[in-house]
Amino acid sequence: MNRIKTYSICFVGIFICCGFAVIQHKEVLFDYPEYWPKPAYDFSKLSMTEEEFQLGRHLFYDPILSRDNTISCASCHLQATGFTHVDHDLSHGIDGNIGTRNSMTLMNLAWSTSFMWDGGVNHIEVQALAPITSEDEMDNSLEAIVEKLNASEKYKTLFYRVHNDSVVTGQKTLLALTQFVVMLNSYNSKYDKYIRNEAGGEFTAQEKNGLELFRTNCASCHKEPLFTSQDFKNIGLAVDTTLNDFGRMGITANKSDSLKFKVPTLRNIQFTSPYMHDGRFETLQEVLQHYTTGIQQSNTLAPELKNDILLTPNERVDLLVFLRTLSDTDFLFNKRFNYPNNY
Amino acid sequence: MKKQFFHLWLLFFMGFLLMSYSEEKRLHIIIQPQFSSERVAENTWYVTENNDSIQFSKLRFYLTNFEIEKKDGTRYSIPDSNFLVDVFSEETLQLKFPDVSYAKGDELLFNIGVEKEMNTAGALAGALDPSNGMYWSWQSGYINFKLEGKSPSCASRKNKFQFHIGGYTAPYETTKRVHFILNAPNEPITLPLQIDAFFKNIQLKDEYQIMIPGEKASVIAATLPKLFSVNE
Ligand code: HEC
Ligand code: HEC
Repeated sequence: MNRIKTYSICFVGIFICCGFAVIQHKEVLFDYPEYWPKPAYDFSKLSMTEEEFQLGRHLFYDPILSRDNTISCASCHLQATGFTHVDHDLSHGIDGNIGTRNSMTLMNLAWSTSFMWDGGVNHIEVQALAPITSEDEMDNSLEAIVEKLNASEKYKTLFYRVHNDSVVTGQKTLLALTQFVVMLNSYNSKYDKYIRNEAGGEFTAQEKNGLELFRTNCASCHKEPLFTSQDFKNIGLAVDTTLNDFGRMGITANKSDSLKFKVPTLRNIQFTSPYMHDGRFETLQEVLQHYTTGIQQSNTLAPELKNDILLTPNERVDLLVFLRTLSDTDFLFNKRFNYPNNY
Repeated sequence: MKKQFFHLWLLFFMGFLLMSYSEEKRLHIIIQPQFSSERVAENTWYVTENNDSIQFSKLRFYLTNFEIEKKDGTRYSIPDSNFLVDVFSEETLQLKFPDVSYAKGDELLFNIGVEKEMNTAGALAGALDPSNGMYWSWQSGYINFKLEGKSPSCASRKNKFQFHIGGYTAPYETTKRVHFILNAPNEPITLPLQIDAFFKNIQLKDEYQIMIPGEKASVIAATLPKLFSVNE
């Protein structure tokens, strides 16, 4: 009799603990406009909790991920510039090493079907392995990170809050980073408000004309509403012979992919200079200069660009004015995405 | 009181009889890595068929998606049956399936390597956790088979050879579905791994490093079933 009693007390205890833990978890909502396509990402491995989001946020901003504790993800992906690295054509990493590519913006990643300029990464959950192991970026290994995190009281607590288990694994680390970056969604620019007929979305004649020009000349690749078709295209940039980066071909080993790069989103483009995979253009004027007069012919040049894009000086201005409507200050200054001071 | 005990014994006895009559056996495989007929050890010299002297420092590979096909053709795939075997870590050579039984003559199927679906499924756990050092980062996907060591025949730095065999996209797939019949007289079943077979068609003088998916990797992957003396 006595025995049964203790067991049942234990049972109730466990039950209460479970209940407590479940109540503690706060869900995070993955929001997006209803007229957008469905995300490509399958969220099933994420807990979609505030706890995992905050854990991922801590990891994202913590140089603990690099070999010598100097570089964090945020070193190359700054919120105020659409989570890319400004003023650097090629990204800078550990020991001041310079990588071979321009850092990418991080936004609306749940819709991406591949990652990196060459699409070499096939799934967002494993994307972080690339910067973590790159000798020029963080020069570390997931094994070493897991060991460091398992030795950290702070992280053991944060992982416990997510999984009711303080043991850190590679998978859990990657999922937490994913839970953070996948929430970095931008859909409140002036352009979005214009599409939704919302206050603050009133377009000027110039902006309207810019949108028309954009739809005629650019939107086949920079497809609305995400401003990328997710395709790989050669836009006729001359090869930089100091880098000899042939893009997609490096992954597929297929000649027909030579010089093709991922079509990047143009959201928040006003703030994400420099532009292109090697950061060769400082300004959007230079980008337009390229599309109108700089295209180099080659076998793999995108068919959309075989014929010259003709824009009058006024039209260029209108197009540039339109591109500014893609800036989303709600996103760029969202406090939930910045350095985690007080958690 | 006594009667109760008697019933218990009877139950045990009948269970025992039942077990010995049915031919069902628990599945347990032991991988036996050898070079020619020698047991393979780390940092020990061996000589290949092509007369290259070699030593091994690392030999790890995935065996995944085990499945049993009964003699009547019915199939049972064993859930979560993914193993990362490290030849120099004794306990990983034992593949234990505590809940799986088979009868003599059944067929066992499995993959050498990791199938495409799991290469494109993001961050996985357990044997497939990317922190196990068997995952490429700049181009997503598992290294199915990793063999490293040295040989004076290699013109590389410190005479090292490194074969990281992987890749899941056509036409350069490297994962091999193989099968063999479970009729070994002894238990557990030993599965010999003939590492010398790996070097049969490799001239270490010319070929000592494969670190990316592609044609070369797929050519080598095609020889892997021979190492295990199983059928494709
Ligand atoms: C040293 C600079 C640097 C660091 C540190 C860095 N990144 Fe990046 N990131 C880049 C560059 C450069 C690219 C483009 C790489 C390429 O195409 O090869 C990129 C691409 C990405 C992408 C792909 C975006 C897309 O649209 O395809 C994601 C996601 C990303 N980084 C997240 C992270 C996370 C998470 C971390 C921390 C674990 C991190 N980055 C650390 C420079 C960096
Ligand atoms: C054929 C498809 C295609 C068309 C049409 C196209 N782009 Fe692009 N765009 C790309 C690709 C691909 C890149 C990345 C190229 C690279 O880095 O090598 C790019 C890059 C850019 C960038 C730099 C983005 C960044 O984050 O670095 C801007 C800005 C841009 N395009 C604007 C435009 C404008 C404006 C138009 C219309 C005049 C246009 N694009 C038409 C495919 C296209």
